[in-house]
Amino acid sequence: MQVVREHRDDLVSRVRVLTAVVTGLIVAIATGFWFTQLVQGDYYRELAENNRLRKLPIKAPRGLIFDRKGRLLVENVPSYSLMIDRSRASSLDHSLWFASGVLGRPVADLQQILQKYRGIPTFKPVLLAENLSLSEVARFGVEGLEYPEFEVEVQHQRLYRHREQTAHILGYLGEPSLDEIETAKGALQPGDMIGKKGIEQTYDADLRGRDGERVVVVDSRGQLLQEYKSIPAVPGKSLTLSIDLDLQQEAARWLDGPEKVGAVVAMDPRNGEILALVSAPAFNPNLFARRLQQADWQALIDDPNHPLQNRAIQNTYSPGSTFKIVMATAGMTDHDFDPHTSVLCTGSKIFYNRPFRCWKKGGHGTVDAHAAIKLSCDIYFYTLGQKMGIDKIAKYARLFGLGSTTGIDIEGEKRGNVPDNAWSEKVRHQRWYPGETISVSIGQGPVLVTPLQMAELTSIVANGGLRVVPHLVKDAKLPPPERVDLDPEALRIVRGGMIGVVNEPGGTAYGSARLPGIEIAGKSGTVQVIAQAQRTEEHNLPFKYRDHAWFTSFAPADNPELVVTVFAEHGGGGSKVAAPIAQALYAKYFGIDNGKPPAN
Amino acid sequence: MQSISGSITGSHPLTEERPRLRLLSSIDGGLILSALLLAAIGLATVHSASSEMPVDYFPRQAGWVAIGLVLLVISMSVDYHVLLDLSVVLYVLGIVSLIGVLGFGAKHGGAANWLRIGAFQFQPSEFAKIATGLFLARYLAGLNNRVLEFRQIVTAVAIVALPMVLVAIEPDMGGAAMYAPLLIGMLLVAGIRVRLLVTAVLLGIVLVSGLWTFGLKGYQRQRVLTFLAPETDPLGAGYQVRQSKIAVGSGELLGKGYMQGTQSQLRFLPARHTDFILSVLAEEWGFLGVASVLGLYALYISSAARIAIRARDRAGILLVVGLISITCFHVLYNSSMVVGFVPITGIPLPFLSYGGSFTMINFISLGIILGVDIRRYVNR
Repeated sequence: MQVVREHRDDLVSRVRVLTAVVTGLIVAIATGFWFTQLVQGDYYRELAENNRLRKLPIKAPRGLIFDRKGRLLVENVPSYSLMIDRSRASSLDHSLWFASGVLGRPVADLQQILQKYRGIPTFKPVLLAENLSLSEVARFGVEGLEYPEFEVEVQHQRLYRHREQTAHILGYLGEPSLDEIETAKGALQPGDMIGKKGIEQTYDADLRGRDGERVVVVDSRGQLLQEYKSIPAVPGKSLTLSIDLDLQQEAARWLDGPEKVGAVVAMDPRNGEILALVSAPAFNPNLFARRLQQADWQALIDDPNHPLQNRAIQNTYSPGSTFKIVMATAGMTDHDFDPHTSVLCTGSKIFYNRPFRCWKKGGHGTVDAHAAIKLSCDIYFYTLGQKMGIDKIAKYARLFGLGSTTGIDIEGEKRGNVPDNAWSEKVRHQRWYPGETISVSIGQGPVLVTPLQMAELTSIVANGGLRVVPHLVKDAKLPPPERVDLDPEALRIVRGGMIGVVNEPGGTAYGSARLPGIEIAGKSGTVQVIAQAQRTEEHNLPFKYRDHAWFTSFAPADNPELVVTVFAEHGGGGSKVAAPIAQALYAKYFGIDNGKPPAN
Repeated sequence: MQSISGSITGSHPLTEERPRLRLLSSIDGGLILSALLLAAIGLATVHSASSEMPVDYFPRQAGWVAIGLVLLVISMSVDYHVLLDLSVVLYVLGIVSLIGVLGFGAKHGGAANWLRIGAFQFQPSEFAKIATGLFLARYLAGLNNRVLEFRQIVTAVAIVALPMVLVAIEPDMGGAAMYAPLLIGMLLVAGIRVRLLVTAVLLGIVLVSGLWTFGLKGYQRQRVLTFLAPETDPLGAGYQVRQSKIAVGSGELLGKGYMQGTQSQLRFLPARHTDFILSVLAEEWGFLGVASVLGLYALYISSAARIAIRARDRAGILLVVGLISITCFHVLYNSSMVVGFVPITGIPLPFLSYGGSFTMINFISLGIILGVDIRRYVNR
């Protein structure tokens, strides 16, 4: 054996120990890989995928909306949003401090906004502020190198040029609900804006177009490395409405102001085109174009007059004396009364052991159909109503379209109510009292209509018995007008009575709706809100106890082109309050100076 | 039968062929196999890593591996005792080349550590490291006492400190740090009193804090800070840690497939053919790939340790320990860095990472270790 005098055994044992230590460290590092790759693998895979491809949506510009004469009602304007990629911020506090300085908003506000995004991965940019001014955009652009976490995104925002004036027609946009996102099957993303009301809602699919997409390869600095693929956006289709902006604005001006609550519908009785549809009070749809502020929303919700409601289609009211159009036509069509049947009005008459009064204390004397409409004689219609009975009244009311929606191309339409025996049994679980028929005969009681239904009803009278579908979009595909089973002669006599209302001395709107050069026919209505006995002078009453005012009309009387229905909630007398508004619209439409100062 | 075979071995005297055959047949299979497999995996991974780069580093690396194999044979065939005898000369040459780098070095990435000779560039610090290892092994082997005396330790530290400081002021902190495992590994094996070890650790802490304050450049300090809190600078130094962790983590168990790693193919990974080659591997081959590679390193290291243990003399043990310590450090540090355990610094992975000097030095190191092994029975 070789003689080794060197100490080598100690060295060998130390090598063994060190080898064990190193092996242990390798195992520890392998455990580290195991943790990173198998335990956290999903997390990193998502990060890697985000690294690789970034989908940049190309937003399809939403279609524009024009009035019938090609005037722009809604357009798209660029709006700048501030996004923050929190993963890129070297110090979030510092970033927010900088943003707060530029935006002029307290840091605490911005911190609160970021709180909401705590659950979202930090590398996903989140919205910090909207509607940046151009100078703010410039500041973030200039300081971009120092604050790479900020990104300014350009979006297109709806600008409703005429704000409240077209609010209920055009509607507004909002973020889609989770349900809507699901049913859209990928066409909608959270954060998109879709039509929530009005035309924006009904024609959303047309207006929205289809978003495109750029898929780009970026590095984690967000620098574009190459474009992967690009799908161009398909711009939304533009729409032309049947609305006439001049009429729309005229109507809106009349209903603008405190205690102005109501609706105006102007419609072409020949084809159902809506030329004006106004509900008051209205709201500013531009508030919805940006993300609605809580305070603004609360104000809209809390407003006792509910500005978001479209009174022309969503609210139902007693028709009052305007219902006499239905009654007269029904009575003559059904031959309960002929045009010459006369009723003696002494101001009051007993029905079912109870006195019913005419609105005119002294009575109208002997009235036939024409006079009954012109003078709006209650006793005549009580008598007719008693003869017909509620079921027959209901049948004719339905022929006029009451009790069902008109089919207008905006959502939310109410059906109103046409009472009859069956309705009473089914809904009220009690028998119909014959006395109620007397009330219904003059449009009181449980009969309820929307202003649009009233315009529809008036159209049927004006066009000689055709039911047209009211619509807002000019070349909407519609079923052909449907002939309604009403006696044309009866309709002719009713039209005559309505001409009398406006143009014959004694007519209820004789002084308030006449227009030189054009013959207007109409019917006023006043709906009592509180019982006659409690009444004092109208203008002394608190707003909420005042009467509702109706005026529904058409012109020119011999060849109607336009139906105007006005409803003023708590407006007072129909002929006094509602008729002048209709008159102003006709003046505008026919280009006639009615000799009165314009509204407001 | 038995008698015949016995008579054959007995009857023939030792020829010149006998020791040579024994020389080749006694090559440690585990060591050479793991090294060659790692080099092959390295070549494939370098190809994948550089597929999106302006040049494919695969042919170059293949060239380096070929040169490395030649150097392996040369360094293996030279008796390590000859190398130890020459170590003083090699050490001085190493120091001179390091000083030369300080004077005429080509700058690469903020540090001047390349020396250009004709078309050839190499890093003298790599060769100086081997020379230092040889010199230190010779010094410690000659001491022949159970535990080192303080004076001897100081001498050993001085031998290593000279080239280390020269590399550090290039400045190449990663390269300088590579001298530490050499020194520590050899000192630990040569024998240090526990009391002294504790003192050294404490001194080390003081030194590190001193280095932090006075020795580190801004970007180096930033790297360390970023390592401690990568979120603070995701676009700067933290970018690399983050991208590496994303690459590794997203590889999951089986990986994304060869050449399919999005992190590397889409150029998110920095230095992916060199320092972050393991990230590419982890991304494309998953945890199974990483575990295999770490297993090969464990095989390499344990094989080398076995060679040290059965080495013929103290010098052989210490030389193998010194060389394998450097490899251990590279493997441990680089793999820890790739998963984000330690700050990023330019420490590549032996046999896997692309690099001329580095590949050559690994094969030389392997050759020396094998040389020690095949001479375990040979008398001087």
